[in-house]
Amino acid sequence: MVLPPVAVVAVFIGFPVGAAIAYTLGKIGGPNSTVALLAQRQHVAHHGVTLGAYREVLGNTHVRGDLWATIWVTLVTVACVVLLSWSIALYLRLSNTWISRVVSALSVIPLFIPVVIASYAILTFYAATGFIKTLAYHVGWQSFPTLGYTLTAVVIGEIWVNVPFGVLMMSSGLNSVPNALIEAARDSGASLPRTVRSVLLPMNVIPTVIVATFTGIYVLGSFTVPYLTGPTAPNLMGVSMQQFFGSFNQPQQAEVMAMIVFVLAAGIGTIYVWANVRATKRASSTT
Amino acid sequence: MSAVEHQGVALGGLEAAELPVARTNRRRRPDMRTFGMKLVGIVLVVVLLVFMVGPLVWLMLRAFSGLWQFPQFLPSHWTLAWWRSVFDDKSLAHSIRLSFEFAPIVTIASACICLPAAYAFSRFNFPGRRVLLVSLFATNAFPKIGLYISMAGVFYSLNLMGTFLGVVIVQLIGTIVFMTWIPTAAFSAIPRSLEEAARDVGAGPLRVFFRVTFPLAAPGILVAMILSFLVAFDEAQGTFLVGIPNYITMPTEMYTLVLNYPEQAAAVFSILLAIPSVVLMSFARKHVMGGKLAEGFQIR
Repeated sequence: MVLPPVAVVAVFIGFPVGAAIAYTLGKIGGPNSTVALLAQRQHVAHHGVTLGAYREVLGNTHVRGDLWATIWVTLVTVACVVLLSWSIALYLRLSNTWISRVVSALSVIPLFIPVVIASYAILTFYAATGFIKTLAYHVGWQSFPTLGYTLTAVVIGEIWVNVPFGVLMMSSGLNSVPNALIEAARDSGASLPRTVRSVLLPMNVIPTVIVATFTGIYVLGSFTVPYLTGPTAPNLMGVSMQQFFGSFNQPQQAEVMAMIVFVLAAGIGTIYVWANVRATKRASSTT
Repeated sequence: MSAVEHQGVALGGLEAAELPVARTNRRRRPDMRTFGMKLVGIVLVVVLLVFMVGPLVWLMLRAFSGLWQFPQFLPSHWTLAWWRSVFDDKSLAHSIRLSFEFAPIVTIASACICLPAAYAFSRFNFPGRRVLLVSLFATNAFPKIGLYISMAGVFYSLNLMGTFLGVVIVQLIGTIVFMTWIPTAAFSAIPRSLEEAARDVGAGPLRVFFRVTFPLAAPGILVAMILSFLVAFDEAQGTFLVGIPNYITMPTEMYTLVLNYPEQAAAVFSILLAIPSVVLMSFARKHVMGGKLAEGFQIR
């Protein structure tokens, strides 16, 4: 009974990823033979493996620019999403008024909107004739930069898409902190910031790590947001991957870039697993 | 991965709780702090209104604008002409139809593949159960576009590029986690004593399943199906890579629209594309915002 979904994952994820690794190392036989027939500028290994494709891709200054852009956008997005969702969740935890209900409703709106539309909406909002420029014009700040088609717009789009998930995770983490604990800290004279720092922060580490890692992996693997809102170059790896695959007809190079993104994501994933293991250990040592 | 999809991964349980808002009854001290909190709240509302809602409103206005010149806050001339032009455009109408063909097929295929597994995961304890359950998560642990590129390479050899089946598979991949994890939680939430009681009064295993287990798990399964439908419906990047040029669904058509059509046509199309998401997510809202988020994500 368990077999079908596991088989689907093995056949359509495990197998292609394995084949892609072989292909990037110059193996053009078996499942890669058809794509190898179509591809241009291939690095073929006749015996053993070749790192030629990796050397070419990493030596390409455009790709290196994309790589740095990807890392930069990922880091900034993760930082902003963690900060924003922490603030919203903290506010929701400490306040129970009609305002907090409005905040909680507004912060999950992106869940209801397909990413394609969100990206396009954000592009027009920050474009040269968009709302932000119009507003800046009316307050007399005419030199306000146009953000559409910049990496800043990509960051804004990625934040937009990822904040609801962050707020839901953080809220659920903060809500599991018993009120008694907060009350106790407050009664013994701790200020609100001190209570947050010494009680809420340490008890919400795991949700924070989860939000950071999942946002990071999401940004690394995103295509729609950077494709629609981002600049021509340098843009995120997702976009250049698609171009190498579709437009330049260089699937091997595209798959090398996919591998680079996988490695970055694996690094992030390691942090996630490590944080989980550490938390489990700590939980078992304290109880 | 759409926002919906991102979220659904987090669904560990099926609590029908609202979005968690503090239910504290802290002693109210009428001092500066309550005022401060109110101020913080209002600032947050304004920021969220501009940042989250602003772009959507701006886009919607565009769908009805005949003439809109910078730097005006509203169009100076309103029109419905763009709606007519979108409905009259054959290729756009075709992509709408395609989207409504793919999404149900993918959802049903996903249900057939995953629901039996979900039942097995929740009812039988077999060796490797946890490893298999977590391994399904591989579908979401890989950066999506990298994964699609790897898949596309092999799809050439399997003759799946540009085929109906290829697109179904690409969209199916994103639904697997929902279709197993959420129903697994739904089945697990049913007390075994209920099934045992039914068996004690003489019901056969099939009858127990269809009269007791399935009806109780149905809401969870329904949520999984709604989310899967939306994942498939909103999937753009994989379909773009594998389906082109034969199968261009609504979200993939958006790429072309944004680049090649008047902005207003793209705005109209955006609203059309958003309708199913908004409607279906509103149904699933209570479940999606349940409180069991963090638990579902922790490796145990």
